[in-house]
Amino acid sequence: MDRGSNFEALMVRYQAGDFVAATTLIERVSPQLHRFFGMQPGSRADADDLLQEAWLRIHRARHTYRPGEPVLPWIYAIARRVRVDHYRRSMRRTVHEQHLEDLSEAATKIPYTGCVQTDDLEELLAPLSESQREIIEMLKVAGMSLEEVARATSSSVGSVKQKVHRAYKKLRQRVSLSGLKKRPSRALP
Amino acid sequence: MTDREIDEALEKAARVPHEIPAELLTGIGGAIKPSLRPVRLLPPSWVLTAGLVVISAAVAFIGAARVGLQGVNTLGYSACVLILSSLLILMWLAAEKVVSSWIPGSRNRMSAAALLVVVSIALLSVFGLVFDDYRTTHFAAAGLACLRAGLLQAVVAAVLALVLVRRGLAVNPASAGLVAGVLAGLAGVTMLELQCTNFQALHVLFWHALVVPVSAAAGAVTGWLLARLRNN
Repeated sequence: MDRGSNFEALMVRYQAGDFVAATTLIERVSPQLHRFFGMQPGSRADADDLLQEAWLRIHRARHTYRPGEPVLPWIYAIARRVRVDHYRRSMRRTVHEQHLEDLSEAATKIPYTGCVQTDDLEELLAPLSESQREIIEMLKVAGMSLEEVARATSSSVGSVKQKVHRAYKKLRQRVSLSGLKKRPSRALP
Repeated sequence: MTDREIDEALEKAARVPHEIPAELLTGIGGAIKPSLRPVRLLPPSWVLTAGLVVISAAVAFIGAARVGLQGVNTLGYSACVLILSSLLILMWLAAEKVVSSWIPGSRNRMSAAALLVVVSIALLSVFGLVFDDYRTTHFAAAGLACLRAGLLQAVVAAVLALVLVRRGLAVNPASAGLVAGVLAGLAGVTMLELQCTNFQALHVLFWHALVVPVSAAAGAVTGWLLARLRNN
């Protein structure tokens, strides 16, 4: 049984009121969700709170999951909403309002070493805009397919492909602009 | 640097374990436990879609029947079939989109904005084919009356549609509102086609077709406002 169908089976049992299945699902999905919240500049400091908020919303909306459909897009669609709500709330709280685009620009200003051998995903994705980072995170960390990412982000597969293409282009440009050589001691396997 | 190298770097970074405090997970489990019971699932998508189409068509028919079905009685048979079947197809398209926007993680064939554009172009094309009287009399007065009647009908259709999908979860309320507005607007247009006897092309092309974008805009604003209120 692969990871996806395992999650689906757990979700169906969760819908049936099985506490063990619910906690197992929470334990297995939470690390990647926490990382999802932690990687975005707008929500990094509140990843713990956002994770709790996301699970409470998932719990309240668990009847909207359709058995047989992939679980991760459903979970990430709700998690994205939690992050957007959090972002808007925090924006209202701050005196100096900053638009989402500005935030993406600010993210690109995070110092980047240009070294592809880094193990720090956050650092690696730093040059990307928020939406590009979100998609790369879903594809490469959560291991979702293009179709699943499209479902999670309410967009088309073509649009996801385009964002991935742009993200890779930006990563390539950053590395070439940085002019840094790859560290030979940490060569890719 | 190649895409393959980027892939490998990303995969390597993703393999680094991401630990989260055990007490955080325990806390989440503890928070959901008291309310953990079997849930009643949503009906299949096609049932919800069919329900929305029936509601929209019924609202349009009842609304038109209250003042008389003069429009449909005066129009020719082929024109009636063309207009009403087109409206029914567009309603189904919009209803499918309403259902998918109320179920997180649904497959997304078309964006909300694209739906509005497709529906508007389709309506203008059908109306352009059927109506060829290019005289204009009482353009604004007659048009505003139709726009008002269409929008009132759209409000009724939107409220009933929301009752049907109320157990869903709109992860993008503004977009969900826009799509619901398109569907409701189509109910308004259908009502106008059934009862309006003004067959002047410009009247139908402008005022009848305008019901859909105005209703969509109202839906988007309502969705955005509701999300904002909920978020405060």
